[in-house]
Amino acid sequence: MVIARNLEAMLQASSIAFLPKEKLNDFVGLLTEEFLLYGPVQKKTEFVFEKIENAAQLALDYHTTLLPPKKVLHQPFETLFSFSEGEGAVDDVSHVEEKQLLFGVHPCDVHAISILDEVYSHEYEDPYYMAKRRGTLVVALNCSTPGDDCFCSSLGTGPDLKDGYDLLLTDLGDNYLVETGSKAGQELVEMARLYSAPRVTLVEKEKRLSDARKKFKKRMITDGLHDLLEENFRHPVWEELMKKCLACGSCTMVCPTCFCYNVVDKIDLGLRSGKRQREWDSCMLLEYAQVAMGHNFRKDRDARIKQRLYHKLAYYEPQFGTLGCVGCGRCIHTCVKKIDITEIIGRIRGE
Amino acid sequence: MTAKPKIAVYKMSSCAGCQLEILNLEHVLLDVINAVDLSYFVMARRDSEPGPYQIGLVEGAVTCGEEIEKLKQARKECETLVALGSCACYGGLPSIKNWTPQRVVESRVYENPAAIHSTTAYGIDYYVAVDAYLKGCPINKEELVEFIKSALLGAKPYLRPHSVCVECKLYENVCVAVSEDIPCMGPVTTAGCGALCPANHKACDGCRGPADDTNAKSLAQTFKEHGLNPGDIKRKFHKFAGMTPEFDKGADIL
Ligand code: SF4
Ligand code: SF4
Ligand code: SF4
Ligand code: SF4
Ligand code: SF4
Repeated sequence: MVIARNLEAMLQASSIAFLPKEKLNDFVGLLTEEFLLYGPVQKKTEFVFEKIENAAQLALDYHTTLLPPKKVLHQPFETLFSFSEGEGAVDDVSHVEEKQLLFGVHPCDVHAISILDEVYSHEYEDPYYMAKRRGTLVVALNCSTPGDDCFCSSLGTGPDLKDGYDLLLTDLGDNYLVETGSKAGQELVEMARLYSAPRVTLVEKEKRLSDARKKFKKRMITDGLHDLLEENFRHPVWEELMKKCLACGSCTMVCPTCFCYNVVDKIDLGLRSGKRQREWDSCMLLEYAQVAMGHNFRKDRDARIKQRLYHKLAYYEPQFGTLGCVGCGRCIHTCVKKIDITEIIGRIRGE
Repeated sequence: MTAKPKIAVYKMSSCAGCQLEILNLEHVLLDVINAVDLSYFVMARRDSEPGPYQIGLVEGAVTCGEEIEKLKQARKECETLVALGSCACYGGLPSIKNWTPQRVVESRVYENPAAIHSTTAYGIDYYVAVDAYLKGCPINKEELVEFIKSALLGAKPYLRPHSVCVECKLYENVCVAVSEDIPCMGPVTTAGCGALCPANHKACDGCRGPADDTNAKSLAQTFKEHGLNPGDIKRKFHKFAGMTPEFDKGADIL
């Protein structure tokens, strides 16, 4: 079935080209002339998305970054507007459409961005996110070596990508195979005068990706997941997790599909001006579900653990049409207690 | 124009580092002075103005009878009383002595312990009602400013109640615990310091005391699994806020 799907993708691919690795620097240079460029760079033993000026900074053989590239579109801290007493009191600062490009984004994170696109335009458009998103191109990078905690292959969100990109790179050794996914992507290929690649290259690509598919160490069976979770709201695993979990919030802060935020006013000391800011929030934190007079809807830690898991794996789909987890494995990697979403589901299934 | 709110700064048993942080507010100190009147602040001015004061900032743990009296007086003359720093919040570093018999500690430090009338070190809320807690050893300056602004506005200040990990993630630090296997108190410690230590590649030492919904027992268990001995684990949880029931649970790993 996988093969058939990929053959179909092959036939549909609108144009394919080669980017020789020795030309990467020129290509990146060209992009920086047009765009604010973000790409994966090494930070100690980990990787992070950062502004890039040249290809030498890039670490394209990176495993998953600490924070997802989401952080460029939905920023950890973001000023929504500033205000002051008197005329023209409110000054919008964040509606600017910047021409930016996310370079080397893994398939899971591209899927996560598609999910956020849906979330932030679903009923009410989020003007801050959408303004940035409209000005952003995505150059994705298929994964030939999945990380230890990755399980995208269980969710169909990786290690290769079908859509959601402007350009899609696959590492073929000396060259990157470049597939175009949009008009803007096609223009980049033309601008960079990349040579077109023979279609047989797609076979080489498929070989590398099917090798990658064999390397996954984690999996999550998704059949009937919704019903499974509904039926196991009182499973003993939740109480065990309550004792184990530190309620530290890391798992949600690193998740590429988490979209919750808190809004805080920062007033200047003169008390006559200030700014309204939003910052990432997390349902794992006690304060999250606290309302006026101190009542809290999810006071118990197990209620919050369930909220996180159920939101990703049960509540998302009816609302947005996809699961809320893309299998990036960040929540597993980041957890000091090594609480593992795939193990939890396996446990409930009695695996 | 109404008079500027008067602020008093009191000192109990402490290193004066939190008061020093007030002076270290150089970049906004003049604005602060414009907004409030630092009426009683022995460290910074020679003469003092008498109370009552709108805000009292109390630094230090209470470790002797005289301090209890001084603290009760402070409570009387201040509308809002704030525990300034972890000593005032929980006993802080002075409370390390609480885990060793009083006379042993005294004779270790003083030549003539007979003159010492030291009591168990407590945070100030053991004796008086406290309206707000500015945690940290020392306090975070930005948080102090945030508190003063909110007090002036009559609004609830935004003081982070959650773990240091949250700020660590917001700033995308490399996690010393996960990436380098260094035991870190961040998951159970209150944020608000900007994840200062992990940002400088050091484990959090727990100086700001327990965060919301602290699960110290589970973290202590992980420390143990990663090779820390029970004595070290105890010292980690007792260092700044061992007098809180939350951290005492972590110390209770044996
Ligand atoms: S990262 Fe782990 S310990 Fe922290 S809140 Fe998430 S599941 Fe709990
Ligand atoms: S729930 Fe975990 S694995 Fe799934 S998308 Fe979020 S961080 Fe990645
Ligand atoms: S989860 Fe899949 S797509 Fe994401 S980094 Fe790992 S292998 Fe790549
Ligand atoms: S370094 Fe410490 S505070 Fe930071 S995320 Fe890791 S455990 Fe939490
Ligand atoms: S990281 Fe921990 S020890 Fe360091 S200042 Fe913050 S709370 Fe204190």
